[in-house]
Amino acid sequence: MARAHRVAIYSSTFVLVYFLALFAVLPIPFLDSDVVAQLLPVIPWWLLVSFGAYSLASLGWGMFTFQDCPDAYHELLKEINDAKDDLRGKGVTVD
Amino acid sequence: MNPFASVPSLNMQGQYNSPNTHKYSVILPTYNERKNLPIVVWLLANVFREHELAWEVIVVDDASPDGTQEVAMELAKVYGEDKIVLKPRPGKLGLGTAYIHGLDFCTGDFVIIMDADFSHHPKFIPQFIRLQQAYNLDIVTGTRYRSTPTPSLSGTRPGGVHGWDFKRKLVSRGANFLAATVLNPGVSDLTGSFRLYRLPVLRHIITLTQSRGYVFQMEMMVRARALGYTVGEVPITFVDRIFGESKLGADEVVGYLKGVWSLFTSV
Repeated sequence: MARAHRVAIYSSTFVLVYFLALFAVLPIPFLDSDVVAQLLPVIPWWLLVSFGAYSLASLGWGMFTFQDCPDAYHELLKEINDAKDDLRGKGVTVD
Repeated sequence: MNPFASVPSLNMQGQYNSPNTHKYSVILPTYNERKNLPIVVWLLANVFREHELAWEVIVVDDASPDGTQEVAMELAKVYGEDKIVLKPRPGKLGLGTAYIHGLDFCTGDFVIIMDADFSHHPKFIPQFIRLQQAYNLDIVTGTRYRSTPTPSLSGTRPGGVHGWDFKRKLVSRGANFLAATVLNPGVSDLTGSFRLYRLPVLRHIITLTQSRGYVFQMEMMVRARALGYTVGEVPITFVDRIFGESKLGADEVVGYLKGVWSLFTSV
């Protein structure tokens, strides 16, 4: 079973349960029915906004923590020179 | 408790004079790498000699017109015909098949794949090996996005890139976020191609992989995770494009999205 199929099965189960609760077919315990009637219709939008906020935060954090490595670049240039000198001495055509 | 993860075991990796009895094969697919190949081989040879490891480099050249194969043969004279193995192919046949071709000639029990254009530095290979031995991992991959290895290991430096502007970094983070959300691969750098594989693991995964290009690298990692192989990550520094500029066009973006979708629906 591919990941797409697993995701499809889980999400259709959740959507079904959600719609059943929304149309009052499924009772929600411990909460008044008018509270439930106010909460349930906005849950999808809340999920969307939460996902958007999470994505932005994740991208922002990723950009903030993205390291540069100028030392590695300079070290590499020096090593390239060392390598060329050494290999020229050993008879390999370099540049 | 996992004996490989005890503190003495972690601390002792790479610090004692007991010889590592594994042999490490590096597969280098090349096309027009006449200038880079000698230097990459020099760096590899130094690293392996310094750490007293048995090694070989398999150069899979796709009929380069610029004389890459001649340089490879000169290097074989300097380092030994058993160390630099040239296995050319008649034409430009693609990366995946280059690895398959190279695998046929590997005499080591671990395989390292990397780019030959200095973006991957061989100095990280001993860290890959240490992590692999500490946790008995099947695959170790280099990551540009993390500062510490997973699982944890001491004696490493944070990863990073050089030569990327803000836009390139943003695209890279965005692409990784998309792939992580859709595929949940368990590694922070999915498109990276600097990896250490156990030989039978690589053979197994590569026969299942169908994509081409860099999606091929992504597919190998996703399939490895799906098959239950253990993967670790070591931070690496990635020096992009010492010579020349890399471009990221709309075609590549579309190709990437298609690749992620095809992995989502097939693995």
